[in-house]
Amino acid sequence: MTDYLEPLLVSLKTVTVTTAVTFFLGIAAARWMARYEGRFKSLIDGLFILPLVLPPTVVGYILLLVFGVNGPIGKTLLAFGEKIVFSWEATVIAATVMAFPIMYMTAKGAFEQVEPNIEAAARTLGAGEWRVFWTVTLPLAKAGVIAATVLAFARSLGEFGATLMLAGNIAGKTQTIPIAIYFAIQAGDMDKAMVLCIIVLAISFVSLAAIAYWKGMAAKMKPVKVS
Amino acid sequence: MLKIEAKKELPGFSLDVRLTAESGILAILGPSGSGKTMTLQSVAGLMKPDEGYVEVNGRVLFDSKNKINLPVQKRKVGFVFQHYALFPHLNVWDNIAYGLKDTPKDEIRAKIKQLLENMNIDGLEGRFPRQLSAGQQQRVAIARALAPEPDVLLLDEPFSALDPVLKERLELELMDLQNVFGGSILFVTHDLNEGYKLGSNVAVYHSGAIIQHDTKENVFSHPVNRDVAKMTGMRNLIEGVITGIDGKNITVDVPSWGESLRVVSDRAANYFLNQEIILGIRPEYISLTDKPGENTLAAAVSHKMEGIASSNYRLRIKSDTSEKRYLEAVISKSSAGPLPEDSDCYLHLHPELLVIMAE
Repeated sequence: MTDYLEPLLVSLKTVTVTTAVTFFLGIAAARWMARYEGRFKSLIDGLFILPLVLPPTVVGYILLLVFGVNGPIGKTLLAFGEKIVFSWEATVIAATVMAFPIMYMTAKGAFEQVEPNIEAAARTLGAGEWRVFWTVTLPLAKAGVIAATVLAFARSLGEFGATLMLAGNIAGKTQTIPIAIYFAIQAGDMDKAMVLCIIVLAISFVSLAAIAYWKGMAAKMKPVKVS
Repeated sequence: MLKIEAKKELPGFSLDVRLTAESGILAILGPSGSGKTMTLQSVAGLMKPDEGYVEVNGRVLFDSKNKINLPVQKRKVGFVFQHYALFPHLNVWDNIAYGLKDTPKDEIRAKIKQLLENMNIDGLEGRFPRQLSAGQQQRVAIARALAPEPDVLLLDEPFSALDPVLKERLELELMDLQNVFGGSILFVTHDLNEGYKLGSNVAVYHSGAIIQHDTKENVFSHPVNRDVAKMTGMRNLIEGVITGIDGKNITVDVPSWGESLRVVSDRAANYFLNQEIILGIRPEYISLTDKPGENTLAAAVSHKMEGIASSNYRLRIKSDTSEKRYLEAVISKSSAGPLPEDSDCYLHLHPELLVIMAE
């Protein structure tokens, strides 16, 4: 039983934290870049999207360089007695880096769709930037932001390559479901692999159903258009 | 009282304007891309001029020399955007209430009720913007802008999206708005009629500069130059030379037509003999007559476009030295008999309706 439960718990924990972190980081970056017109626009944009176009193993390798005991961040953390590589936090870091570009890109698209004059109207009515964002921009970009979050969730649930390189395969600690499936198949344990696959299917199906239900509720709440 | 000075350099465009407005409506008239909207934006603080000064009722909103630049939120400027920019996810009530955040609840209620009534939109407070007609949307946009009691109201092409009948009604409502709203109203338009009907003063824009800023009567009957004349719908312009001044009567020779015309101008003292000038007349001011006489030219109809109440003609003056020059005339059907293409006629240019421009 623990064979299935452990990867499931690790995955759920990692995906929950990753989705939450990506949600806030992605929205902040997307909001900033959606209206940024500086000369480094394409450079910053490219950097944010980079993990999406790189092979996950390359991202994993770069993360090892950065967070390894000789890397700039790894070294600093080590001075405080923290080791990132092969820790549970590493699964979150790897999945966040991989899920961020999708969250960022999709949310940015949604923010760019918001008519700038509507935000400007809110400002002329006395609303500060924070209020404009919460009461105008975010509600108008809601559908896109939800889509972005779902995609980021899915991406972090499926994360494999970078996680394996940075976090390794420690049962009950860093072994997420995709990694457990891979090693089950390597060991010829097809039954275990199948059960884990069914668990992933179930999670995906339940989350999609939840979103569909939630969207349906939202549509019902909307007033009917009078002709 | 509103004072605006704004300079802004952009790639391929530069804005350099200076405006003043008393209470009442100032119409900013000009073709698209001439800097009208940018002017409103610099008043509202949505765009920062490179150099400039904005003052509303003695309150300085922007002063590049003294590094004053109040944020949009603190400017107390009501802005009605071109396509109204209502909050699509809020109903009419919440749209109007948006600018009343720090007001006590019962005061908000009373205020919104009053605005709904003033703007003739009571009963619509529960509707969402997409459930409103264009006219209702405009009223909501104006009510929303007025709610926080701004010092100045800016309207950016408020009538561009409306059909003619509705437009006329809302124009009248905007006139009435002056009674409710005491401050200056600036409104941007590219529509001559609109500018003339609504504005008590008019500023004519041309590629980022103001070429005339005066009362509407002066702008429309005494354009300072041919750009203003063209912009205000005076489509017929021809070069001439002054050959006689006698009181208000000015005699102008038009070499291209080989004709001499009499012009009555109360600004005759501004002109001198042998001065080269531009003579202008509006298409609507040309009338037909059946016999030769003073200020009367023999012409042939070259093109005709028939409208409902009046028809547009392109007329060639027979004595014209150029084959390609036409006079444009709009002649009411009640005053003209059938005048088909290629037929001959006599045009009368009324001396009081001809306008002299120095350049």
